[in-house]
Amino acid sequence: MADPSPDVRWTAVRDAATGHGSVATLSRALIHEGDARVREAIFTALVKLASSESIDVLLQSLRSDESHLRTGAMDALRTAPAVIAVQLPLLLADADSDVRLLACDLARELDGAVVQGLLCALIDSDPQPNVCAAAIEVLTEIGDGEALPSLARCADRFPDDPFLLFAIAAASERLSAPRG
Amino acid sequence: MADSAPITHEEYRRLCEYLYRRTGMTFNETRRYFVDRRVADRMAATGASTFADYFARLRGDIDGEIEQFVNAFTVNETYFYREDHQLQCLTANLLEERLKVKQNGETMRIWSVPCSTGEEPYSIAMWLLENWPQVDAHDIEIVASDIDTEVLSAAREGVFGKRALMRLSPALIDKYFVALGGDRWQILDDLRNSVRFTPANLVERAETRPHGLFDVIFCRNVLIYFDDTSRRVAAENLYENLAPGGYICLGHTESMSRISPLFEVCRFADAIVYRRPMGDRRG
Repeated sequence: MADPSPDVRWTAVRDAATGHGSVATLSRALIHEGDARVREAIFTALVKLASSESIDVLLQSLRSDESHLRTGAMDALRTAPAVIAVQLPLLLADADSDVRLLACDLARELDGAVVQGLLCALIDSDPQPNVCAAAIEVLTEIGDGEALPSLARCADRFPDDPFLLFAIAAASERLSAPRG
Repeated sequence: MADSAPITHEEYRRLCEYLYRRTGMTFNETRRYFVDRRVADRMAATGASTFADYFARLRGDIDGEIEQFVNAFTVNETYFYREDHQLQCLTANLLEERLKVKQNGETMRIWSVPCSTGEEPYSIAMWLLENWPQVDAHDIEIVASDIDTEVLSAAREGVFGKRALMRLSPALIDKYFVALGGDRWQILDDLRNSVRFTPANLVERAETRPHGLFDVIFCRNVLIYFDDTSRRVAAENLYENLAPGGYICLGHTESMSRISPLFEVCRFADAIVYRRPMGDRRG
């Protein structure tokens, strides 16, 4: 996986996808991999292995400063709703607000009723308006009238943030409307 | 066959997990009736009195039950010249594009996967004979693969009913089939021998990779049965089986762009297909 040829690295990654004990190797390779297609294969290998170690590498990638690693990890995790279901409460409570923001996006992949409860709890307490805005965007898509009290409380917590107030108003209007 | 659901919710969940691990196919509660019927059929066929007995038999692969079980779950209804706009694209564009980059005398390789009972690979062979003026000037290999070994046997036999031939003109049927009577026709031996049938599971790289590199792959209406992770794996396997610059045709409801960024979208007059970028030599 350190070979200068992307062809060789691609084959090595795909071979590792079915092997045992390969997560550490894939993890190291991911950090340095410059070829988008090989990187894609590494992410697929990690999500297919579906071990606690391989999922941890994906979750750690969400914290990366490299946007291609965050995006690749998000795309891989989106294909594994069972993993998201387990990890989402932890991700939404993460100390890193960027991780919480990405977690809101992952929440779209799950059942609406479960997600609504988690996102309402988040917008009731999260100190970052950007994270709340991300959660509200998802709530607008998947939520219902039960989210309205949390939306109102969130508006009370950020009275000086015009964008958030606008988003809350739009979401409240949408979720108040009868479902047809 | 049993009339009532033979398995509990928990057993159903375990069975679906098992099926997913073996095939990459996903079944949720909305497909419960589909699954229950097939499990009941297999229980009756094997004489298992309880699901636990049957599941033990399945997991132990007693008398090749895994293969029988997988065969029961694959959907195999198709017909000749299905989505023939892609066949039009094959002869009008794809093969011509491939000829530009192939060495003189190099075999043109086409893969039909999954091939079900053979309608697609035989359609490709017939279409080439009818619509590609250069067909005799090139060495062409058509490989047809499926996870279901029973349909592969049927495909090799090449006997079809009226429904499978519904889109073929009487002239084409006369030209390429022998009437067996009883609304059954068998494809001519020459055509049968022009297609090589092999087993392959698209999510198992060990089964796809040995097939080598193809110029065109027809992989229609199967990825929809996979979950997202298996789709990514299957897409990477197919990528490895495409020559650089080679093309893949999916079903009209499917989009490779939603599955994997590995391929380029190519818009031709008759069809949208996907291509492995020309510069990629890996695989």
